[in-house]
Amino acid sequence: MTDPSRWHPAALSQDLVPATVIPARCGPHEIALWRSETGALRAWQDRCPHRGMRLSHGFVRGEMLSCIYHGWRYDGEAVCRKIPAHPALEPPSSITVPRFRVAEAGGVIWIASDPGNSAPPEMAEGLRPLRSVPVDRSAAGLRDALGHDVPARLEDGLCVLVQEIDETRSVLHALTSGNVEPKIASRRLESLRRRFEKEPAA
Amino acid sequence: MKDQWYPVAMLSELGRDPVETILMDAPVRVWRDADGTACAATPEGRKLPVTEAYHHLWTSPGAPDRPLFDIPEARQPDRRFVPCGRVRVACSPLRAVENFLDIAHFPFVHTDILGAEPHTEVARYKAEVREDDDEVWATKVEFYQPQAAKSASGGVTTQYMYRVPAPTSSVLYKTSPPRPGEWDVIAIFVQPVTETRCDVWPWMALFDETTPQADLVAFQQMIFVQDRSILENQVPALLPLDPGLETPTRADMTSIAYRRWLKSHGYTYGAQLVAA
Repeated sequence: MTDPSRWHPAALSQDLVPATVIPARCGPHEIALWRSETGALRAWQDRCPHRGMRLSHGFVRGEMLSCIYHGWRYDGEAVCRKIPAHPALEPPSSITVPRFRVAEAGGVIWIASDPGNSAPPEMAEGLRPLRSVPVDRSAAGLRDALGHDVPARLEDGLCVLVQEIDETRSVLHALTSGNVEPKIASRRLESLRRRFEKEPAA
Repeated sequence: MKDQWYPVAMLSELGRDPVETILMDAPVRVWRDADGTACAATPEGRKLPVTEAYHHLWTSPGAPDRPLFDIPEARQPDRRFVPCGRVRVACSPLRAVENFLDIAHFPFVHTDILGAEPHTEVARYKAEVREDDDEVWATKVEFYQPQAAKSASGGVTTQYMYRVPAPTSSVLYKTSPPRPGEWDVIAIFVQPVTETRCDVWPWMALFDETTPQADLVAFQQMIFVQDRSILENQVPALLPLDPGLETPTRADMTSIAYRRWLKSHGYTYGAQLVAA
């Protein structure tokens, strides 16, 4: 069982511009992560309650997220406000999408299912988001290989967060510190990824 | 569902050399004999029943107790017949049929072709199970369409009727743009490959004397490719037959009737019965 109070790094802030939705994960849960036009951030179950379509394929207009299948529109509280097939109907307030907690700090978006009063892990000052890369290796294997507490600060000015996807896949969210050129940092991250994928799993 | 007829190939592609396909998790070989007889058999050599109809070869892993459903319009000589080939979709065969019965998605999935905002309303229509024929029908369906067919120019309110004569086949009737008093016929014949994969064989019988065949096929293929982006992203993959997991509205009356009909017959290949 995954600890529901745990915060999972889900994306870098820069990869979710206003008025977009992307697929994300919170441990085993598939998430539709979206930002409204004014910048409000939400993390919901990636499933429209109408016909089960992934909401991460949907579209954002103003402060609402719409499902791409039939255009059902949900407000910031995940309550259905519009069913286009029945424009005159006020949708029953029972039509809602399960919500997750989401937090944004230091250029990283974190998601948790039930974190209580806990806050996402503190990040060092002065880090700049670089990019996120998928890695074909378990999160446990990556943590072993990194040999540090996560977030791991590496030599060469790289700092990485490990996101668990499943038994064989993870995502590294990378930030940089110091005066490393983004291009050089990206190259270092790429060779790190290759090394992690080559090394036998612990 | 083992005893139903299923499409497994286009007749135009059937040759002397056997071609292997998958029907309900099991391999099936299809070919045409030297004397012209269409054949289907398991790799072990067990012969399966066959029917040639609507430009496709139909077979069954079981023993069908009645002939393949009739499409009377297939005998009208002035129609254009357009078998559209195979569209592979990683979805339940039942979800593919249900999507075919749905009009409310037109403005969002087939934008500016079969529908467009703000014309999203689905007016009340009639959905029923016709006990005599044991088929699901929806009638008096209407929808505003910017380009209802390849032959259409400009927006029209299109009339529709839908028919489900078999668990993985559906036939729709819609206003023919060149002949507003007649119905064009568009069908999908779905080959259940596994419970979560299917091959969709669209087939049309149209009143359209001018559009080249390739353009008609391309138009229909484009529509199905748009549908595929939905069908491969529904959760769960299996069609839920019990209420609770999904939230239908009045626009979904055809889908509600279809699910009830499936459940009443025990047509559950590609379905899930327990609300998760």
